This record gives sequence, C-alpha cells and structure tokens, in this order.
Amino acid sequence: MSQQPSEKGAKLSRRDFLKLIAAAGTVMSFTPFIDWGKFMPNPASAKSERAKVILPDDTHANVKTFSINHSESIIYPATGDRVLDAEPFRRWQLIRLPPEYGGDRNDASAFRAYSMVCLHLWCLWKYWPDEKKKRGECPCHGSMYDPRTGKAIAGPAALQAPPSNVLPNLSLEVDADGFLWILPAVWNVNGNGIVGYGRFLKQ
Amino acid sequence: MAVSLSNKHGIVRFFKWLWEGLERTLFLGIKFTTPSRFVSPLGFLGMLTFITFIILGITGALLMFYYEPILDRAWDSVERINNIIPYGFHIRNLHYHASNAMVFLALSHMYYQYFSGRYKIRNEVLWVTGIILGTVTILEAFTGYDILYNERAELAISIAASLTNSIPIMGPDIRAMMFGAGFADFVLRFYALHVFILPIVMLGLMAVHFPRLLVFDVPMVMAISGAIFITGGVFPVELGTKFEPTSPPGVTVPEWYLTGLYAFLRTQYDKFVTGVLWPGLLIGALALIPFMDKYKKFSWKDRPMITAIGITSLAQIIVTTYWGFWIDPDIEKALTERLVIDPIVFYTVMLLLVPLSFGFSYMMIKIAIHAEHRNKLEEAKRKEKGETRQGISLPQNWTWAILFALLIFQVYLNISAYYAGVAGFKNVELFLAGLVLITFAGIFHIYRYAVQQAKEAKAEVPSPVPAEKEKPAEKPQPIVIEVPQVVPPAKAVNPTSPPAKVTPNINPGEVATNLDVTKADLRPQEK
Repeated sequence: MSQQPSEKGAKLSRRDFLKLIAAAGTVMSFTPFIDWGKFMPNPASAKSERAKVILPDDTHANVKTFSINHSESIIYPATGDRVLDAEPFRRWQLIRLPPEYGGDRNDASAFRAYSMVCLHLWCLWKYWPDEKKKRGECPCHGSMYDPRTGKAIAGPAALQAPPSNVLPNLSLEVDADGFLWILPAVWNVNGNGIVGYGRFLKQ
Repeated sequence: MAVSLSNKHGIVRFFKWLWEGLERTLFLGIKFTTPSRFVSPLGFLGMLTFITFIILGITGALLMFYYEPILDRAWDSVERINNIIPYGFHIRNLHYHASNAMVFLALSHMYYQYFSGRYKIRNEVLWVTGIILGTVTILEAFTGYDILYNERAELAISIAASLTNSIPIMGPDIRAMMFGAGFADFVLRFYALHVFILPIVMLGLMAVHFPRLLVFDVPMVMAISGAIFITGGVFPVELGTKFEPTSPPGVTVPEWYLTGLYAFLRTQYDKFVTGVLWPGLLIGALALIPFMDKYKKFSWKDRPMITAIGITSLAQIIVTTYWGFWIDPDIEKALTERLVIDPIVFYTVMLLLVPLSFGFSYMMIKIAIHAEHRNKLEEAKRKEKGETRQGISLPQNWTWAILFALLIFQVYLNISAYYAGVAGFKNVELFLAGLVLITFAGIFHIYRYAVQQAKEAKAEVPSPVPAEKEKPAEKPQPIVIEVPQVVPPAKAVNPTSPPAKVTPNINPGEVATNLDVTKADLRPQEK
C-alpha cells in the first residue's frame, strides 16, 4: 500500500491488472448460466403461434355463428391436461359486445377476450348480457367490469391502483372464413397484461 | 441404578466415547447447559424457537407422506389427513400450532433481546441473521398455510402473487420465475419452498445465528411442547372450505402474524408501497438498530430512546394486527365498504401512535429510574436505622386478584376443552397428551429442585469428603462455571449465572427464596 504513488492518473499496476483479469474471468465463466434462468418460469403459460378459439362445445368460434351480446368461457393456452385446463388462470371470457358497443360488426373489433380471474381476489367473473347489466360481474365481492375495455367500474377491483384495475386481454384475429384466432400473447403489464394482476389501459 | 449406569458398562462407555468424539466436530464450539435450577425462559427463547422448529420438522415430514401438492388434490389430501388417516388430525394440529408457537416465540425472542440490549457489542451479526431468520420463519409459516388450497390459502396466494407483481420493473418476471403462472404452479412451488428451500435457508442461517452457548432446559421444553398439544386439543385447527373460484368465499383474514400487513393492504393504497415497502422498512430498521444504538449500557432503563422506539413498534404492531382482523360486523353494508380501511384514518392513527407511545414510554422510563433512585436512598436510610426490608412483595389483594384471574383462565380453558371434547374424541387425546407433557415438566422441575436442595443441604454440613469430589459422580454438569468468560459483555446471560454460585456462598436464608436469587442475577445492569 505504502509503495503506491499517490499521483493522479497512475498507471494500472501489474498486480491490479491480474486481479481485474481474474474477476472478469470469474464473471465470464458464470455468464452461460444466466440463460439457465429460463428454467424458472413455466413455459406452459406461453404460446408462440396463433391458436384457435375453441368454444366449450369443441367448435372453432366463427364470427358468422357467434351471437351478439353473448359470452363463452374459453381455455388459453390449452394444454390437453384435464387438471391444468381446469386452472382458473387459463380461463378467458370471450365476449361479443352488444350492438351499441359495436358488436354487430363482423370483424375482430366486435369481440373481446378477458381473463376471467377477477383482479380483486381471483374468483371467476363472467359477462351478464341482461339489458340492465351488460357488464362483467364477479360473484365473490361484486367487482364489475366494462366489457369494452376490461376496466373495473365498480366494486373492490375498481379501487385498486393501475394496473390492477384493468383485466388482461387476448389479441384476436378473424380470418377470411370468419374464424377467430388468438395471437401470441405478450405477458406483461404494457402488453396483454398479467393474469390475476392487470394491465395498463392504452389510451 | 448405580450398577447399570456405572462406567464399566459397555454401552455407557460407548456413549461416553461417542460424546468425547464430538469434541472434534462443530459441537466443540457450542456449549450446552442444562440448568440445574429454574431460570427465566426469556433468556433462552431462541432455543425454544428451535425446539418448535424440530417439532415442525418431524410433524411436517410425516404430513409429507400423505399431502399431495396437486391443484385438484391438495385440499382433498389435507381433508384425508384430517379425517381418515389415524392420528393425522393430531399431526396436523401439532404442525399448525407449532408453527404459530414458532412465530410467536421468535418474535418474543427478538423483543427480549432488543430490550435487554444483547444485540450490541459483537452480537450484531447474530442480531442481523436473527432478523433475516425471523422473516424467513414468517415466510415459511405463510407458504405452509398457502398449500392447503382453502379459501384462506387462496387469499394468501393471491396477495403474495400480486405483491410480487407490484415490484417495479422486475416484479412480474420474479413472480413468473418464483411462483410460476397459475394455481397449479403456485401450489407445487409453494410446496417446494415450504418443505425444502426455506427450511434449508433457515438451517443455514441458524448455523450462523446460534451462539456458542445453548441452554437446553428440559422442563421448559416439555412445557412448551405440552402447551402446543393443549392448544391443539382446545382449539383444533379448521380445515377451511375448499377454494371454488366460482362461489363467493366467506370473509377470511390471514394468520395473525400477517394481519398487520393485511390492514395496510386493506387501505387499497398502492400495493407495492403498502405491501412491500412498509414491511421492508420495518425489517430494515430492525436489522439496523444495533448500529444506531449508541448507548454504552445494556439495560432498557439506561437506553430510554431505544426502549421507547421498541415500545412504539410494539404498539403499532398490536394496533395494525388488531385492525387487520377487524371487519365491520354490519352485514347490511357492501362487503367492499366493510373490508376497505379508510387510509386517512388509518395513517393518522399510525402517525399519532408514534408520539403517543414514544412519549409515554419515555416518560415512564424516566419515572421508573427516578423511583429506583428514591428507593435506593430510602433503603440506605433504613439501613442506617437498622431496619431491614424483604425484597419485592406484592400487596395481598393483588395476589388474590392474580389467583382469581388464573382461576378464571382455568375455568375458561376447561370449558373450551369440554366443547372441543364434544366436537370429537381426538381433541381430548391431544389435550391429555399435552397435560402429560406438562406434568412431566413439573415433575422434572421438582426433581431438579430437590436435587439442588439436597446438594445445598450437604454443602452446609461440613462433611469429611470435599464437596467437589461428589459432584461429577452425581451429574456431569461441569460446563457452567466457564461461562462468564465466553460472553464477557453480556455477563449476566441469565441461565448461566445462577449455577456459577452453586456451592461457594450458600446462605441458609436464601435456600427457600431460590427464585428471587435467580431473578436478581438476571438483571444485566447489576454487575
């Protein structure tokens, strides 16, 4: 220590250089393992290509047959495993909006798909097409959701700060034959949202 | 007796050899003391926490034989353990109540060490690892009741996941990595955390946290175990209702050690701030307190600021814990209205609590110190006059009041036990087993006391054989005398000091008031 000259801009000593090399080497030898972190998140929650919208009666949802102001519970991403597919986190509510919200159009804009997991305490809400309601309602603590945006409009979920007041959604696509498809989801709060947590509403 | 326990016996010699062999292991650094008379359990609450950890390990391992961490089977397997497997109910109850006991003992241990100032002077590492250990203990208890997959578990899982999600930037990724996505993952991963990862972390921390001196007080260990059995018998743990996402759950609150946090969450203010930042702040402050405590002395009376801070924190913990439990009983109101705590009222109360409890305890400490001084002066005066005063003596009606309260408690306990017994015979078995353990503790204590008395009586009579020679033959407890050198600053580490004066100064008058002697020795500020 005492040998070290205190002058400014002193050259890197040989010993310090070796130490740096050793440190860099240590870091380098462990870098490959960073990618191993991908082991942790369960890949069963992601799908890389578009998926069919399969209705509970095992048919492919079609714009021409799906009635207006109506909803169905769909599974995404489907695994084929009985237990996993019963999982609330894979349940989505496919809604064809009522006519006044544009549900009579024959394209993807007439449809919405929201996670059925209520943002409050994870019960399963569903869409009520009744004339006076036309909104999503949770049976547990009465949170209500606007079918157009997925935003909570009443109940405990509406009190939660963003992003926990807007339901995660799925991006839908309609092909030439009128069949509905789900585009690969981006699971983050600025994309399709996080099931059970929410999403930021894009203006 | 003497024949079978003599050193000539092969097995005894083998165990002796084994015990000596342990000298070469890690155990060399740890000194076990089995106190030969009653010492306050406050000094070895940490050891008692560890005992409950052992109970939890055993019962938990047994539960693993039947529990299935699979989404649609988790609750059903717990129900099977509870209702069908022989003694499954007992094991489950013990596991549950021991977990509560462990959290409670760990908290008491922390506060005792805090108020007695033991965390200072080279004990900082012990303290900080203790704080981490306490946090992990709560996480361990938390993950435990999450995997039941009943309504309360679901509430807890959803809170855990949304709090993790709320961490800025990394939150959702951490959630996906640690807990996975969806209930199937949550149940399985919380199980992995509960039965393996967190216990391993705890064992690692314990290796650092254990001091060199451990007190293993058989009667107290037995009494704690008995208490766990009895609470299991009187207040059998509920199975809860299986979580069905489509049906409205009953109103549930978390376990008592988390309702404080739950009260903050119920204000519906930002989840990260209320659920992660505030508790993080509390844990951080606790971890740093030994470095902020600049007092040279140890006693709580000599550290008024620190003591007042401690009491303030206790007051806040108690108030928030109660508030978290409290739900407006008026079922006419909307559930949201009943559940949400007005943040303005809540935070105002919390803020007001600070100056109130701080000022009050600071004032009380000052008054206590003043009173002590005055008492000392009076004592000196009395001595001049030739009067003597016995130690602290309660006024007689106080004694009656305490006796009466104990009696009421006994009656309450009996009625609860009766109702628990009516609910099912299993509870009575647990209750009785607990009674047996506590009785064992009592008998052991009486035996120990008698042996001590006999020794002192012998020492009084000048015998031809020196007293020192007799001791090792009766009971090998030579360790205790070295202790004061091991921990010089906290010299009065209570369990150790009483045996230190075993033989040399025996005062016939003191024999009967054994307890008072030890208590006086416990006070750290007295040299």
